[in-house]
Amino acid sequence: MKRLRDWWFAPAPAERLAALRIAIGVYALGWVIIRYDEIINIATQPSGFQPIGIVRVLETPVSPDLVAVFAIATCVLLGAFILGIAYRVVAPLAALGLLWTLTYRNAWGMPFHTENLMVMHVIAFAFMPAADVWALARRRPSPESGYGWAIKLLVALTVATYMLAGIAKLRIAGFAWLDGELLRNQIAIDNLRKLLLGDSTATLGTTLLHHPTIMTAFSVLTIVLELGSPVALIGGRIARLWALGAWGFHVGVILLMNIWFPYAVLGFAFLPIFEVERPIAWLSRRWRARRQ
Amino acid sequence: MSIGGRPGKSVAVVLGSRGFAIVASIALLVLTLSPVVREPTDDGFPLSTYPMFATERPTELSMVYALGVTRSGERRYLRPFLIGSGEVLQAYMILAGAVAGGPGTTQALCQAIAARIRELGDIDIVTVRIVFGKHDALEVLLDHKLGKETERTRCSVKRS
Repeated sequence: MKRLRDWWFAPAPAERLAALRIAIGVYALGWVIIRYDEIINIATQPSGFQPIGIVRVLETPVSPDLVAVFAIATCVLLGAFILGIAYRVVAPLAALGLLWTLTYRNAWGMPFHTENLMVMHVIAFAFMPAADVWALARRRPSPESGYGWAIKLLVALTVATYMLAGIAKLRIAGFAWLDGELLRNQIAIDNLRKLLLGDSTATLGTTLLHHPTIMTAFSVLTIVLELGSPVALIGGRIARLWALGAWGFHVGVILLMNIWFPYAVLGFAFLPIFEVERPIAWLSRRWRARRQ
Repeated sequence: MSIGGRPGKSVAVVLGSRGFAIVASIALLVLTLSPVVREPTDDGFPLSTYPMFATERPTELSMVYALGVTRSGERRYLRPFLIGSGEVLQAYMILAGAVAGGPGTTQALCQAIAARIRELGDIDIVTVRIVFGKHDALEVLLDHKLGKETERTRCSVKRS
């Protein structure tokens, strides 16, 4: 138990957690801004509202104006979250705003799986001392718990997501998922659906439909990456290798199905595995040097 | 409880304690992993079972979609934003919801699509059709062979 505690609370610099707050906050803010029109547009639909998650408190849709107010408030809160202003109050509110806005959007039609981990990361930040440095507030002293646990928790949430995806495949399809036929059919169906709905199809996906052996290899690799995700908690080179493999998997999904998981493809899902404070500290040093 | 009579400081001490970190970590991890005890197909947000790509599927696809017909009679698949959403799956849900609502809602959606095409102006589409198609994905993608289509409704793109 002591070893587990020592590992979970192994020290990490406050700057790393702050860098993660800034990076993930910027991504979340950018996501809501880019998706703003879509969020409002879908809320004007006359039918198709199927409440999920916290939106289950509603029986009928709210006015699109209210959806817009929540989305704009979420953007403002995320801005303050990035800057580290009044963090103890702002971080939970920003997490709640993001959770509500994106859950409401996902309540129209099929839930996406591209936003879940980002939302869980932002929720986790609400419990973390992530604005003790690199914030527009006075520098706080280090807490007793330190910062290492918070970074490990962000990695653990990423790991849990991939684990769940792997477990779902085995629970739903069993080991038959590994033979590649199921994946081939998924790729074929997904590309046909995209074609019929006027979206771009993945050329590589349709080409590889001729090669079932490659599909088997992709299936096995997918399960190995998903169920092997806990190696990311070990840290160091093995964690970075896993992150590279998982990133490659998402690139593969784009090439085979033209399905984008931007949080992973742009690397944000894996940032907690890396020493992300270094580039920001370098930029900060350069900026200060210029001012002097 | 406060330390030195400063309530703010006592909050900081609690939030910065190892005990709080342990409780927060366990709570968030249990919450994130909780879908594992749900039916794997019982999806949610943000606590998902991640059932994507897991379900065994036949290669036959039956679904409703919208088609545009050009002045010369050629068929065009319509982009999702013309249906009412930039997202392909949500565009599909809009189409499926309209058809499930009956001929009236299907025709209303057809008119809405036609209005969006008219607003864009530069698209050579004169008629919108909402059809129900039944295709084999491998036959369409590998042999370019379409299955059967049944028209649910059609409407004209009226231009002034």
